[in-house]
Amino acid sequence: MGRYVAVFAILMVLTGVTVWTARIDFGAWNIVIAMIIATVKAALVVLFFMHLWDEGPVNRLVFVVSVLFAGVLILFTFGDLMFRIPGLLPNAIHENDIPKVIESAGHH
Amino acid sequence: MSSSEAQHAHNPYLAHHFDTMGQQEYAARLGMWLFIATEVLLFAGLFLGYTVYRWMYPQTYQACADLLSVPMGATNTVVLITSSFTAAWAYHAIKYNQIKRGLALLAVTIAFACVFLVVKYFEYAHKFSVGQLPGKWYSFEGLQAPGANLFFAVYFLATGLHGLHVLIGMTVLGFIFYRTVKGRYHASNYVGVELGVLYWHLVDLVWIFLFPLLYLI
Repeated sequence: MGRYVAVFAILMVLTGVTVWTARIDFGAWNIVIAMIIATVKAALVVLFFMHLWDEGPVNRLVFVVSVLFAGVLILFTFGDLMFRIPGLLPNAIHENDIPKVIESAGHH
Repeated sequence: MSSSEAQHAHNPYLAHHFDTMGQQEYAARLGMWLFIATEVLLFAGLFLGYTVYRWMYPQTYQACADLLSVPMGATNTVVLITSSFTAAWAYHAIKYNQIKRGLALLAVTIAFACVFLVVKYFEYAHKFSVGQLPGKWYSFEGLQAPGANLFFAVYFLATGLHGLHVLIGMTVLGFIFYRTVKGRYHASNYVGVELGVLYWHLVDLVWIFLFPLLYLI
């Protein structure tokens, strides 16, 4: 029971910290800081509220694999997005952004 | 009849295809964690949508996040974390046969869930009234930028799906409450409570990521 209280207290403090740090301008680091805090909070919930800390290896594996595949989904999608020709992104609104090669390919 | 078999006969909650209560509970937990894995992947799709559009429209996303009310989002974060704590406490109480305390804590947890939905209702009502809506329904005059309607598409899909989980979680907790009142859950049969409470923690878990992503950054 004491463990629940300690985890609850830390989660509350971290909620305050994440609201506070978001008000300071760290540029691109804001998103990194917020995600680190969220990951720590999530880990505390999963390990102690959801008892994965005391759980057997199979249940741990199931959860870890799901997180791993969520990571694969996001990372591999970015592997595609980051190395595309800018004009081919869905948000390319100017026709001039579309490379000439693609235009001619569309003519036959 | 061996002594261990006699013990089995004494616990009416042990299904005949399991050897021990420990094995039965382990199997139940495994099933729940498999379900949680599918839930993680379900929400991963939405988080991917969020990150892709954020990458395409970084300034618009920041401008849209500023339109959301941080006090309301923070209030709901505190409400959900507290409800997660009371749910964990309720499970602990029922596991150690403190039935009345467990029932009170379950009721408190459901009450917190209601508070969350009421706050959410006020947020949604405001967005509908000013036209901060997805896709072609976006009509907010204060921010006209490409991608703003995409932000609100992700916002409503993610918080909507999460809100649906809050509703389902409340139903599950209500069902556990009912069964505990009926004397079904106590120190020798509590795995049902454990699984329902796991679902409630999952609802909290998703919100822990949604709050900073949508409201803060």
